[in-house]
Amino acid sequence: MADIEIEIDGNIINAKAGEMLIAVTDREGISVPRFCYHKKLSIAANCRMCLVDVEGAPKPQPACSTPISDGMKIHTQNDKAKASQKAVMEFLLINHPLDCPICDQGGECELQDVAMDHGSDVSRFTEGKRIVADSDIGALIQTDMTRCIHCTRCVRFGAEVAGIMEMGGTGRGEDMKIEPFLAEGIQSELSGNMIDVCPVGALTSKPFRYELRSWQMNAVSNVARHDLVGSNIYTQTYKGRVKRIVAKDNESVNETWISDRDRFSYEGLSHENRLLVPKIKVEGAWQEVEWNVALDFAVRGLEKNVRQADQLGALSSNTATLEEFYLLQKILRGTGSENIDHRLNVKDIDNTISLESNIKLAGLEGVDHALVIGSNLRLEQPMINHRLRKASLSGASIDVINAMAFDFNYRINSENIIAPNQTALTLASILKSVLKSAHTEVPEYLGNAEVTEIATQLANQLTDSDNSVIILGEHVINNPQALSISNLISEIAQKTNSTILNVSATANSMAAGLAHFVPGKGGLDVNAMLAANLNAYILLDIYPQYDFHHSVQAIEALSNDDTFVISLNSFKDDVVSEYSDVLLPIASFYETSGSHVNVEGKVQSFTAAVNAPSDAKPAWKVLKVLADLLELPGFHYADSMQVTSEIMHKSYKQHVHDENIDITVKRGVNVIWQKSPYAVDVLSRHAVSLQDTKIGQINSASMNKATAKKLEITQGDNYLGVPVSISESVANSCVFVNANHAIRGQS
Amino acid sequence: MISTTAKKQIDNWIAKYPTDRKSSAVMEALKIVQAENENSLTPEAIQAVADYLDMPGISVAEVATFYENYNHRPVGKHTIRFCHNISCMLNGSDDLIAHLEKKLGVKTGEVTKDGLINVKKVECLGACVGAPMFQIGDQYYENLTADKIDEIVDGLK
Repeated sequence: MADIEIEIDGNIINAKAGEMLIAVTDREGISVPRFCYHKKLSIAANCRMCLVDVEGAPKPQPACSTPISDGMKIHTQNDKAKASQKAVMEFLLINHPLDCPICDQGGECELQDVAMDHGSDVSRFTEGKRIVADSDIGALIQTDMTRCIHCTRCVRFGAEVAGIMEMGGTGRGEDMKIEPFLAEGIQSELSGNMIDVCPVGALTSKPFRYELRSWQMNAVSNVARHDLVGSNIYTQTYKGRVKRIVAKDNESVNETWISDRDRFSYEGLSHENRLLVPKIKVEGAWQEVEWNVALDFAVRGLEKNVRQADQLGALSSNTATLEEFYLLQKILRGTGSENIDHRLNVKDIDNTISLESNIKLAGLEGVDHALVIGSNLRLEQPMINHRLRKASLSGASIDVINAMAFDFNYRINSENIIAPNQTALTLASILKSVLKSAHTEVPEYLGNAEVTEIATQLANQLTDSDNSVIILGEHVINNPQALSISNLISEIAQKTNSTILNVSATANSMAAGLAHFVPGKGGLDVNAMLAANLNAYILLDIYPQYDFHHSVQAIEALSNDDTFVISLNSFKDDVVSEYSDVLLPIASFYETSGSHVNVEGKVQSFTAAVNAPSDAKPAWKVLKVLADLLELPGFHYADSMQVTSEIMHKSYKQHVHDENIDITVKRGVNVIWQKSPYAVDVLSRHAVSLQDTKIGQINSASMNKATAKKLEITQGDNYLGVPVSISESVANSCVFVNANHAIRGQS
Repeated sequence: MISTTAKKQIDNWIAKYPTDRKSSAVMEALKIVQAENENSLTPEAIQAVADYLDMPGISVAEVATFYENYNHRPVGKHTIRFCHNISCMLNGSDDLIAHLEKKLGVKTGEVTKDGLINVKKVECLGACVGAPMFQIGDQYYENLTADKIDEIVDGLK
């Protein structure tokens, strides 16, 4: 688009022809009031608040839907513009209750702000105001629809961004109201953004209701650690507690949205289950002690139990910060042990996914084709799914290979429900088809793969696209042929010029890689450690019954009488108390400084928004002091940023490309075990409101009739402790377990 | 929820629009489904139309609640659609509606006990020349008076 000159309030401004006027004024910092306009939503032009005077136009024009053209002269502040804005403001306030003193939006309300600037101080409206009955739309969003000004941002958000139109404007004229159709509650995984986009107090945060005014809180920039995106947020705090979380704009990460998991998991921080005081176990009984006593006990325990350096192991959950990963591995390596791992949920480390992502998050929306393998992307990585949805809306074709049919919120070109033990074979067929159409030699290991029609189609899509991506999800990590799948994808991507997005390990697992939190030479991986009966462990925020793939073996190994276990935990847990010898209370999300590394490798550092409750301390500090007490050199850090910069000066690249590909179909029933979306980590498990949503209630072991018959299971039974749901949407010989171990209780 | 006959009728309408614009048939579909459900639409009927046209339920509900010709509660065999817009109002429609309500023993929006008649206030039907007026079925009745109304209503079976 050509550069043109326009004049706004007497100033010459350069802009692109066809841009909407409001986009130009926003960029130039010229204030134009608005309600319905939102930069990420379609233009509705229904509130009329942004009326400005355009010279030559007979009537004032809405800035949000007026495309600019060369030489246009606009007045945003002259009498005509001001009079129209004032008139619109008066109309909007006719039915607004003006109940600001009891409204949660008070103090951060666009209507309040605009009314201050453009409204009249006295209302001329003496008739009765209308009242709209509220509908209960779920555990996260509180409605007060009498306050609604019908801007339809929430309606457009649902239809355009969340991908499920849930709110709508029913009735008309005086009777029009914004409401969901059926009173089932809002189901979107991004629903909380409706609270952010609502310019008035019609939609507010339910868990935050009647808590505080926005000006009473401090807003601290932070990064959410539940998924591979690292969405930017503001943690709003009051008297040392996180009271609310809202989205922070970062175009290259989360744009302006965040997932409900990132928004509402903070409730877990104040759960009664928090671990608050250091404890040591003396002759089988727990004693609450001071920090120095607990740490001394830990150090003496290590000295006594670790007779050989390789008898010590360190394991961490994937939610640790980059600095915590780094310090813990540095301690281990300092003592001479290489037994370090974070891949607790992997069945066999030698047979799992090893792929590097090579596409940026923002780049995802520009792809013209995507092949998604083994992922329910929408619930697992909501913001990544949102980028892919944008690509889909601008014409990208999306193919899926999954073991179960999921609800995608965009059009799927071909959804292939394939049993886990057939995944490698399917990918092999695709590779073979790619090689054949390129007239390249077909390697021996692809010999048995038959090029099916589906494989040809999937292969052609990848070959024919200029900008395709292969997305690999977490359902594949424990596939019997995970390594082969990983290698096949690498081959396919290379041959078809596709990029790769590996979302198979979530949370802050990328940081573990950056901090080299994996076994070094001669070191044991997680499963080998547990099998080797080590004498001592340092465990970072681990809850074995949820975190380990081999949880029974893990608990057994850790419970061994002569195994000394130091547990750093943010929450109490009976199983952890059972096997630990020292319990050190640590800070949870938003209570510690540190860094998150997202799927594209972007390191985002954050500070602590609040102090950890009671005696709990940030884990990086605990680890530093532990290292000092162990008299290890090189732990003179004054703050976590010094740790971060030390990490940034190192580089551990360890991508092993392996030709090991096995495509023979292994018989038997495959179980895909996954934590349900709102129980992915210890904090979300303790977030009470999230559990009351539709997504929070996901807890099922899905299988088809044939599989159920084979396993002699009927509807109503439990499988692996999870209620069975029989559905033909699951591939044959596959059980898809989505387990929710949410922890109830007071927050 | 939607009968095969109704589906066929809806398909006729769908065929009139481009293949990716099935939702264009929503108004006719609602009309057809309403006709087969004793002239009113339940949330289930609205959802059925939505499913049939691949639309979100709320989008169909928006249409169904916007227009006066869709009913959301049970109606009688005959619906008297009484205009109460400006011309009719100036010519005394308010009094005539009150008269009709009194005669039938029901308020607007309610159905007579025998299930025969209900009265609905509607916006301008474009017959101001004959105001005050109402519509029963496809028939307009104009220049109404209390006597004339009694005669018409008594003739309804």
